[in-house]
Amino acid sequence: MTQSANIEIEHVTRYQYQTDVELAHHLAYLQPLESDWQKVLDAKLLITPEPDQQTEALDTFGNRRTFFTLSTPHRSLVVSAFSKIRVKNRYVNFDPKATPSWGLVAESLAYALDRPYVSASEFVFPSPYVPRLPELKEYALESFKPGRSIAEASIELSSRIHLDFVYSADATEVHTPMLEAFEKRAGVCQDFSHIFIGCLRAIGLAAQYISGYILNKPVPRQEKLRGADASHAWVSVYCPGAPGHWLELDPTNDKIVGVEHVSVAVGRDFGDVSPLRGVIRGGGEHTLDIAVTSEHVRD
Amino acid sequence: MSLDSSSKKDADSAVKTAHEDLLALVRSLTAQTKAGHYDELRDQKGELRPFWKTFFRYLDTAGLEGLPASSDTSARLIQQNGVTYNVYADNQDQVRPWSLNSLPLLIEPADWRNISASLSQRAKLLNAIVGDVYGQQKLIRGGYLPSALVLGHPGYLRPMQGVKPPGDIYLHVVAFDIARGPNGRWWVIGQRTQSPSGLGYVLENRLIVSRLFPEAYREMRVQHIASSYKRLLDSMKAAAARMTQDTPRFALLTPGPYSETYFEHAYLARYLGLPLVEGADLTVRNDRLYLKTLHGLQAIHGLLRRLDDDFCDPLELRSDSSLGVPGLLQAVRAGNVVMANSLGTSFLESPAVQGFLPAISEYLLGETLMMPSLNTWWCGEIAAWQDISPDLETQVIKPTYATSSRTNFQPAIASVLSESQRQKWRERIDEQPDLFTTQSYLPFSQAPTWEAGRITPRTAMLRVYAIASGNGEWQVLPGGMTRIATLDPHIVSIQSGGSTLDTWVMTDQPVDTYSMLPSREKIPRWLASEQLVSSRSAENLFWLGRYTERSESMVRLAKEALVLVSTNLQDSLPVLNDVMSALCESHKLVSSDAPSLTDSAAMFGRTLISRLAKQDEGGLLDHIDALEHALKAVRDRLPAEHAEIAQTMRQMVLRTRARSAIETIEVLDALSIQLVALVGFQSDRMTRDLGWHMLTAGRLIERLISMSEVICAFFSSAAVYTPRGFETLLVLFDSSITYRTRYQRQQDVHALLDLLVTDVTNPRSIHCILRGLTDEIKHLPDSEILMSSMPEFNPCEEVILTQVETIKGLGLFGAGLSDEISRRFFTLAVERHFAS
Repeated sequence: MTQSANIEIEHVTRYQYQTDVELAHHLAYLQPLESDWQKVLDAKLLITPEPDQQTEALDTFGNRRTFFTLSTPHRSLVVSAFSKIRVKNRYVNFDPKATPSWGLVAESLAYALDRPYVSASEFVFPSPYVPRLPELKEYALESFKPGRSIAEASIELSSRIHLDFVYSADATEVHTPMLEAFEKRAGVCQDFSHIFIGCLRAIGLAAQYISGYILNKPVPRQEKLRGADASHAWVSVYCPGAPGHWLELDPTNDKIVGVEHVSVAVGRDFGDVSPLRGVIRGGGEHTLDIAVTSEHVRD
Repeated sequence: MSLDSSSKKDADSAVKTAHEDLLALVRSLTAQTKAGHYDELRDQKGELRPFWKTFFRYLDTAGLEGLPASSDTSARLIQQNGVTYNVYADNQDQVRPWSLNSLPLLIEPADWRNISASLSQRAKLLNAIVGDVYGQQKLIRGGYLPSALVLGHPGYLRPMQGVKPPGDIYLHVVAFDIARGPNGRWWVIGQRTQSPSGLGYVLENRLIVSRLFPEAYREMRVQHIASSYKRLLDSMKAAAARMTQDTPRFALLTPGPYSETYFEHAYLARYLGLPLVEGADLTVRNDRLYLKTLHGLQAIHGLLRRLDDDFCDPLELRSDSSLGVPGLLQAVRAGNVVMANSLGTSFLESPAVQGFLPAISEYLLGETLMMPSLNTWWCGEIAAWQDISPDLETQVIKPTYATSSRTNFQPAIASVLSESQRQKWRERIDEQPDLFTTQSYLPFSQAPTWEAGRITPRTAMLRVYAIASGNGEWQVLPGGMTRIATLDPHIVSIQSGGSTLDTWVMTDQPVDTYSMLPSREKIPRWLASEQLVSSRSAENLFWLGRYTERSESMVRLAKEALVLVSTNLQDSLPVLNDVMSALCESHKLVSSDAPSLTDSAAMFGRTLISRLAKQDEGGLLDHIDALEHALKAVRDRLPAEHAEIAQTMRQMVLRTRARSAIETIEVLDALSIQLVALVGFQSDRMTRDLGWHMLTAGRLIERLISMSEVICAFFSSAAVYTPRGFETLLVLFDSSITYRTRYQRQQDVHALLDLLVTDVTNPRSIHCILRGLTDEIKHLPDSEILMSSMPEFNPCEEVILTQVETIKGLGLFGAGLSDEISRRFFTLAVERHFAS
């Protein structure tokens, strides 16, 4: 198994407007996270036309967010993010069976007088895109049998979602409610991740939404991965005993995250980390074009 | 002079007897209090409490017997002042009057001292909790507050983490709902921290009730409330002091006319001297907040907001809302805006929080809470739920997260449920315990109310307001809004049909007679809305002017057309018929496919009448509606009568349904009187500020467009050369009387043209309209550019046809000017959001 890799990413978002946009406020999550397993070698964000104001700050989850404002009339907006990342495989010698039973983990996350506070409990609560649904609890419990280790059960659930759900870009849109995707048994990486998160939270476990990229120029003879042509999303499960106490799983590709994934931002759900959002005045109809390339490069 | 002792004694005993008679009368009129509830009016022996005795003494027997009238008076005052409370469930057109009972609730000085001290302490505590939760989070880490109630509450806003507000005040106003238990002790029932409503109603109730009982109000040392409102502004000012060299500027942010408490926003804004703004009036540039005004962007340093958190910034919060200001959170984080209250405090409104407050108070303040909350169990703490589950019948079950529709439900009083119903609740709670909170059931005290000639005790809950005084302390407004349950004695809520009482807090100290009125003169000019007119207000005023004038010309035209119909002269006057048909069509009084006056006068008349009250066809009703909409949106700038007039007009228009021509003419006459009254109020009562110039410019532009159309139509068709056409044109110009006094019965087209076009003494002449319009435009920014496209107008021109051509050009200029004003001043294009 590969221990580490360098990945270069180019993510270009193009908006074309029918009429002048007079004022635009935007918020971007396009600059990758720095962590023990991910080193940012280079990162650039180019915005055309040049914003009148641009500020960068860390949000409450430690993500890099960029605000920018355009107050001069414009007909197009191009946001290009380039980054070069060195990723390490953190789960090389990881044994899922060696993690605690999921019931114990859930209990440690619930409030009781005199029980120590676990900061991961923030990710147990429902969030705007991931409401609590009884249907998900039922679906989750098929994998989460009493006493089973949390990592094993989580990996199995991730595989089940991969099997049971059809990957289809036409099935859902950005704002499709999770329940609809769950009932249709179809969607894209965002839906797969939300459903997975919803299942875990429904049984009292903590789960994060991770937005990022997956390699789209694979090694020759290897099948191209799903979700590679745009930004990708997967799930991080609170899993004491795993490196860093979190286990990252990609239900869209049925994979434990290795050296093919680059994380950009982490949050409760898509709403916390959407790559680019904005509020504009004017503009009429718009067209949107997103292009992502991500490939292994040499050191 | 001294009275001889026996007659003094007689007088004394006469007073005494009269007083005893009065008390006997009060007793005979008073119904029993429900068992188990504290009686605000009487002690345990059934005697009136001392303050109530005094109150009724000032009222005297005649006053008491006169009370039914007083009750009507308060209803009428409410109607007049347009105090309304929109209830979402109702049809949005139906605005229910705010309900106020005549009798006040009296609070004794000793009770008040306790309430005031206890709630100041609580306000301070709540502010400290917000500070911790958005700062170090010691409470969560130490287990003092479950993270489910903070980080798991939809009202916790992550973008505010780490943000310290100016002056460290998160909560400028906190509202507490308190009630008295059976033994007379006060309890905290709940609290409102996000943007507590009611401060406007408190003022309005006071205004009305103190007028109903002027003597008692004056003599009983009732504490005045104006100082508290000043304190609110003062502490905002102090917090904003570092932001600007000048006096900081504030605005009141409202969701707009469809909000359930919009009246209150307008009322409060007017009282505090703040501009009433909607999100679209504001914009953020370089992390600073600005108001869009006719004079460009003006800095705003603070918002007294009545807009819920979620809607405040579509960029970072709810993206599907257009009520907020994109970028507001950035301006707040940069420390450039005082938010009253800070964003992200609604988690404190959950009843579940109450259970944790005693320990938090000890931990953060080192103080014991002075007033208890109801005993509270948050079921998400499994041990607590197991503890209370067997005793569920003593509890009220409430939603932990009422702010989200998914987790909200109607509270249930377990004691009135059957055991099997309670068991269902237990199962429901077991399923998702964190969504439920139970609190001990407390029978609230019952306050006397005046209903149908009797004194009826009603279950009461008092809402009081703690206001930051800027030195790390909070002071409680001496008064408040008492809400009473009129139907179910368990449920006290305005939305479920309750009513309110004014709340009189008596003092044994001197009364603070501070009034907001003198200080208003000291408020800088712009705050007194002297020149600062938001673009939205300006737009609404401009269109109000245009719609009012347009409605007037439609009414006049409709009436003249119906006169033609009913006098049945169509055969002799095809020219006039054609002109009138065409004008009615262009004014949307009839549709283009309707038969003309010449085809069939009767059909034409019926079509016109049936269309008057039709919606969505651009006809008269739509104009009245648009007029009313514009009126509502600038409610803070207009005399209160406006709204009433608009409603009356609407009802009048609806009354034309299926009427004869003669009856309809009567209605149209009545309508034109209302329109005149409306214009009268505007010219008589409004300050001559920019807003007024906008309104007048709108009216004159509409008049120019409409009058030039009428002149051109009458002259180019030659209808003006028929005697009947000559008369009709005069009527449409509202100039018959002027013409007649000058020229009697002679019909001279040159004289007519002189009167309608060039005569500067006729307020409806084109020349006069143009002069007026030029005067109004002069007051607007960029006036020269606006007027530069005006065609040459030479009033001495002799040739009629040339004049008519010029007038046509002036009409086009009017329409162009309207567009130009819109483009230049009303940049209100709706902001949209997207995410990729």
